[in-house]
Amino acid sequence: MTEPLLEFRDVTIQYQTNRGPVTAVSGASFSIEPGEFSGLVGESGSGKSTLVKSVIGGLDSNGEVTAGKILYKGEEIQDYTEEELNEKIRWKEISYIPQSSMNSLDPLQRVSEQAVEIASVHSDLSKSEALERFKELFEIVGLSPDRIDDYPHQFSGGMQQRAITALALFLDPALIIADEPTTALDVIMQDQIFKYLDRVKANTDTSMLLITHDISVVFESCEQIAVLHGGQVCESGSVEDIYRNPTHPYSILLQRAFPDIRYPDRKLEIIEGHPPEQLGEVTECSFVERCPWAVDACYENAPPLENVSESEQNHQSACFRNDETHALKGELTELAGLTDGGEPNE
Amino acid sequence: MSMKRYVAVRTIQTAVLLMLILTFLFMLFRLIPGSIADQMIFQGASPEAVAAFEEQWGLNDPLHVQYYHYLVNMAQLDPGTSLHYRKPVLDYVKLKMFNTFILVAPGVTAGYLLGTSLGTIMGIKRDSLLEKYGIFPIVGVGTTPSFFLAIIGVIIFAGWLGLVPTSGMITPQVALEMGEDAPWWKIYTTGDFLWHYVLPFSVIAIKYMYEPLLIMRTSVVEMAGQDFLHYHKLTGLPKARWIRHLGKHAIIPIITFYPISLGRAISGLVLIEIVFNWPGIGNALVEAVLQSDYPVIQFVFFLTAAFVVVGNYVVDIVYGMIDPRISIAD
Repeated sequence: MTEPLLEFRDVTIQYQTNRGPVTAVSGASFSIEPGEFSGLVGESGSGKSTLVKSVIGGLDSNGEVTAGKILYKGEEIQDYTEEELNEKIRWKEISYIPQSSMNSLDPLQRVSEQAVEIASVHSDLSKSEALERFKELFEIVGLSPDRIDDYPHQFSGGMQQRAITALALFLDPALIIADEPTTALDVIMQDQIFKYLDRVKANTDTSMLLITHDISVVFESCEQIAVLHGGQVCESGSVEDIYRNPTHPYSILLQRAFPDIRYPDRKLEIIEGHPPEQLGEVTECSFVERCPWAVDACYENAPPLENVSESEQNHQSACFRNDETHALKGELTELAGLTDGGEPNE
Repeated sequence: MSMKRYVAVRTIQTAVLLMLILTFLFMLFRLIPGSIADQMIFQGASPEAVAAFEEQWGLNDPLHVQYYHYLVNMAQLDPGTSLHYRKPVLDYVKLKMFNTFILVAPGVTAGYLLGTSLGTIMGIKRDSLLEKYGIFPIVGVGTTPSFFLAIIGVIIFAGWLGLVPTSGMITPQVALEMGEDAPWWKIYTTGDFLWHYVLPFSVIAIKYMYEPLLIMRTSVVEMAGQDFLHYHKLTGLPKARWIRHLGKHAIIPIITFYPISLGRAISGLVLIEIVFNWPGIGNALVEAVLQSDYPVIQFVFFLTAAFVVVGNYVVDIVYGMIDPRISIAD
């Protein structure tokens, strides 16, 4: 097996607040292989943005990785200083598409100026080479190359999103972290953005870590997926495995909460409750309060990620009752009296 | 709207405003009770002499003709003759103006530079000891009335310590030694001038430090939290570059404030000039008012207003250059 590009090992991230430390991410583990598109899904407040921001030093000043390791190409980066991040990681290796792309371009700088500045800091490109390259990228993301000298306010929101994406692709990063890149856009724009992300995937060997609360987007664009709940990774694995064979109770319930075009009459399920806000150390499964099948052990310890079966590589689920959930799911279907809640055949 | 058009529109607006100020002053000084002729010739002159005088100076002309002459004269930079000193107002005011300018402009500028730099540091090092405790003395000093500050300065540095003279711009002896033929700017190059200069300069600088400091501190804190600055950081810009971007955004309100402050200070530091007995425009204005020297007052009023107007004009142009989003709606 090759070395993963990026690996989280039992990462715990806490924010210091007036009420004590809030644990946003606890013991999260998962990894991204080179050239792979990986999706990170979860509800609002599940810690997905926090987790990825820790990679590039983007946490708020009161946030900190308090335990675990973040490995990039085998090197521990969780304790990197600002200078080291600037030297080794940011834009040289990992670029970032922020959640608020509409406010992220400097209003006093032409977009091309911002690109040239980034190039001058991180690469040997001359100014004209950088501009040439940036023009090409404008073309790739579907913007007219002669508009690179515009100011951000001359662009629409969708165009700013594209310009930000062009900046992320600019220096051929090994990994792009996209934090809900399409949240602010309408579905048509979303579709266009994902179309060119697909094109990027086809044409380069860039990896992508895509954060979203829209699970269908992940199924469409990614190979790997990790499901986050309350700061814990519930389940991770290939998109096919998790779609066909969700094992963690949260994933099972989540799947039933999504509309399926093949069963338009099916009633959508609701997962009651909210992800918990955790003060201090977390010692239980974060899903325990919402889980229909919780047992005493779930309150005592946070379950570790374990392989689900020997046939499915990398498919891991963090539940003490991994072996039983499929049977339990059957019960649930009968109880709810669904027309068809099982696994649809393709 | 293009930058060119923006500049053109603002230029025309400014010209119109200056015109309005001239008109207002023209009317103001004609509303003052008493005849100008009474002020200008000795009392007890015969009615014929007064009539001849009024005829000579066009005081009997219809108002619009007088207004026309007034505008033409002003356009030619000829604001008339001082009633008291019997010499052209411009020559008299010019030197006073220069004395004020050479004191106030560097003083206010130094205050702004200091305040802006310190405010930036305080904004970046939020919650540091410097920020928590440094702000009180600076605001305390800055909000003290300027004349009081000046008097305290004189007591400490001129009285107790004896480091600097109490008042004046130059020791008369030094000026006399220079002789009549020396060029007018010669005294400003002497060490004696500098010796007189230090204290009033420092008082103005300290007085003008606190406003930009407070604005800059708040502005820096506010800007540092903006998404685009966070993005700048995540693109891996070195700290120094990042601070430069931060500064460029945070300084915009300071740039708005500076020329206005300067414009006001040049015409408004009368009390400091009086405490230090500085031969500037403030002192000259007070003197002129006491002597009812209308041509001088009229011109100084105009200059005062013009500084503020031109200051605003400069702000708008600079603003338009640094922030491309600023323009006037069609």
